[in-house]
Amino acid sequence: MKIVVCVKQVPATNDAKIDPETKRIVREGMQAILNPFDTYAVEEAVQLRDKFGGEVIALSMGPEKAALVLREAISVGADRGLLLSDRAFGGSDTWATSYVLSKAIEKIGGVDLVICGKQAIDGDTAQVGPGIAAHLDWMQAACVMEVCDADKDTITVKRMHEDGYDICEMSLPAVVTVVKDINTPRVPTLKGRLASDKSEIPIWKPEDIGAQSSKIGLDGSPTRVVKTAPPPIRNSVTKKITGTSAECVKELIAELRLRSIL
Amino acid sequence: MRYHIENKIYHVEILPPKQSTEKLEADLELFAEKYNRVMESGYCACITDNAMGLLAFQGHEIINELNLKVNPEQVMIHLNTFHTKSNLCEILDTCMAKGIKYLLIISGDGSDRLPKLQPADVEAEDVQSVTSVELLRYIKRHYPDTFTLGVAFNPYEPPEHEFEKLKRKIDAGAEFIVTQPIIEKNAIVDEMIQKYPDIPVIVEAWMSKKLYLLSDAVGYPIPEDTEFDPIKTLMQIHRDYPNCGVYLSLLGFKTQYHLIGETWRNI
Amino acid sequence: MRLKNDSDKLKYSNVWVVAEVLSGKIQPVTHELLGAARSLADAKKSKVWAVLLGHNVKEQAQLLIPYGADKVLVVDDSRLSGFSDELEARILVRLIKKYKPEILICGATTRGRALIPRVAVVSECGLTADCTELSIDPVSGDFLQTRPAFGGNIMATIRCPFHRPQMATVRPRVMKAPDADFSRNGEIIFEEVTESDASKIKRILEVFHSDDVAVNLADAQIIISGGRAMKGPEGFKMLGRLAARVGGAVGASRAAVDAGWIPYAHQIGQTGQTVQTKVYISCGISGQIQHLVGMQSCNLIIAIDKDPSTPMMQMADIAVVGDLFEIVPGLTEEIVKL
Repeated sequence: MKIVVCVKQVPATNDAKIDPETKRIVREGMQAILNPFDTYAVEEAVQLRDKFGGEVIALSMGPEKAALVLREAISVGADRGLLLSDRAFGGSDTWATSYVLSKAIEKIGGVDLVICGKQAIDGDTAQVGPGIAAHLDWMQAACVMEVCDADKDTITVKRMHEDGYDICEMSLPAVVTVVKDINTPRVPTLKGRLASDKSEIPIWKPEDIGAQSSKIGLDGSPTRVVKTAPPPIRNSVTKKITGTSAECVKELIAELRLRSIL
Repeated sequence: MRYHIENKIYHVEILPPKQSTEKLEADLELFAEKYNRVMESGYCACITDNAMGLLAFQGHEIINELNLKVNPEQVMIHLNTFHTKSNLCEILDTCMAKGIKYLLIISGDGSDRLPKLQPADVEAEDVQSVTSVELLRYIKRHYPDTFTLGVAFNPYEPPEHEFEKLKRKIDAGAEFIVTQPIIEKNAIVDEMIQKYPDIPVIVEAWMSKKLYLLSDAVGYPIPEDTEFDPIKTLMQIHRDYPNCGVYLSLLGFKTQYHLIGETWRNI
Repeated sequence: MRLKNDSDKLKYSNVWVVAEVLSGKIQPVTHELLGAARSLADAKKSKVWAVLLGHNVKEQAQLLIPYGADKVLVVDDSRLSGFSDELEARILVRLIKKYKPEILICGATTRGRALIPRVAVVSECGLTADCTELSIDPVSGDFLQTRPAFGGNIMATIRCPFHRPQMATVRPRVMKAPDADFSRNGEIIFEEVTESDASKIKRILEVFHSDDVAVNLADAQIIISGGRAMKGPEGFKMLGRLAARVGGAVGASRAAVDAGWIPYAHQIGQTGQTVQTKVYISCGISGQIQHLVGMQSCNLIIAIDKDPSTPMMQMADIAVVGDLFEIVPGLTEEIVKL
């Protein structure tokens, strides 16, 4: 099984404080990490490869330093990494990004399965996985919580929905996006990391994948960001309730009634 | 562990390279340098396990990879409950093979990237989640007479609860105790020492001037304008706790290491 | 499609709402979207169309008109009984080509967020995910779509000046559903599934719908959420009793899910779900950033914790300092009496 796992480098959200004025999160320390959902995608790809044989190729589009997340994927078991990096890719929205990734997947050739994390924690769109499937006209399954079965032609997966799940069978090649429930990703070992530090990560440009310039970057992106603004201020003061448990309950109920919630 | 106290052997904490590092080779070199320095001084090197939930490489794999010398009396590895079962077995097997004897068993800090041991992994189906107690029991059961296991004691938690936890840890087979950092004589620590006169206690001394980090570690705010001299505080701790060992956290290898040599001996 | 020139824009009109149907029932998010579509269509002086794809849904089509649909496009086919992304996407792409809507919105549910990106890619148009505000730019007439990014830390407003239709998925429980007006008239148009629509589609083998309202976080008005402080599955049962009393759902922090006390479907936060309910009651959740980004947009945040200094207690609108194992049952009991 030839598996491509699409990964993204995102800013970490480790340190945060609450702004006393706006009651919003203030982020500190923007360290770049492998998108958390993608750690599950990589682990699933590696487990499937170990079960069915084949190869796992980690693929990312981003600046040159995004090679770091490809190395992380290699350090936990991916066979090799490929980076799509070029100024011309800059400014791509989800339409153009999924186009670029799909062209790279075509270029890799013979791919049976593409695995993505459900969404990236910076953009939160969850659109790139289905977008890749659409560009390739492959079947897709989003929010996969279990790969039930697979063989050389089909894959059967369990999809998570708000109100339950379903199980569906798709013919390969196909695209799946995965949620956290699917596995427990291994943590990179020192041996794996040292080996991944030595591996070559080829960089592909638009011409390497035959991408049309009108379909990549800002030109290829239908969406335009008009403005960004901080979210509305939550509240000015926190209403604090203290006392015995009975008093707390009484006062909380009064508050809920005041706000017409009860 | 008594031997460490009687011979004034410091426990020197060394933080292993973080997983996020972009200069791993250099970090490993620095780690080896610190480790070897601790060995040469005759102290005990204590290697943390993803401290504060920040992903780092593991002590046992670094020792293995860099082929660092292990004197059983001079190495202590922290081991927390945020591992997969196979990872846990690998750590314990490597420690055994390398002759690493001292393990500090803690519940530890999780993070989004760290797996958590499940009750079934440590044959503890009767609990809801794995703490240091279950991990301790598991190691005692599967690696009898292999390791000397220590546990943590936090004098800043509600004492009743903390003492109850400590009792369970001791009952599970803990053979030494390491406290959270203290910067002065602490009544709860005193009480604990009285309660367990036969168990060696190692108090943690805070060697960094960064008080906000200390506030995080102890869980109560220490005013930033507090006058704090780590070396002086260390000397006071020795005077206050002459029968305890001392664990040095965040020791400055460039600025402080040369000063500690005489500190304990001169008391 | 990419527009060749500005006058191309005029070929596209009306606002489409793709209905969400579960087990043959129209979901509340559809009513909310019809409300939002109505204001957009009014601003554009155009009509609201609902698109209803499903099996045995003919009867339901009529029910969309009271909420504001002027026309309802219905495709009723046994092959639409499960959620087949490929099939639904092909049908929508074909209908879009045929009727040329100017705007298309769909619920940002797991199904909507899987389906619409496929439609947008093939239709060569822009798509904005998980919007919380929609409007029409008075100058250009373009559809302005506002969404939270970076876990709700930035609100980004997006438009698609050169492509039509303009598409967005919209977060459930954010738009207000209009009151049903049963005197409204509307037209129902039936469309068929073609053979090419139905080629190469997935096979749905099994569907499981949980009847337990406590699970459906997206649909809930109130979420009662717990973390490590719940100490075990029993603690979550206690939250479940309060949730049942107020008709709410039960949420959880990652720590509680990872400990195996409650299934992943309940997890709120970065690697779980993002929720925007009317009321969020946090029980002993300290508020790691990964959790906060999943719930900080809720209207009213109530936190119960012994420790008043946690990030969650600071963010909360109401912070109750006390023992949740007494306060939660107390609250449940008092509400029974009301």
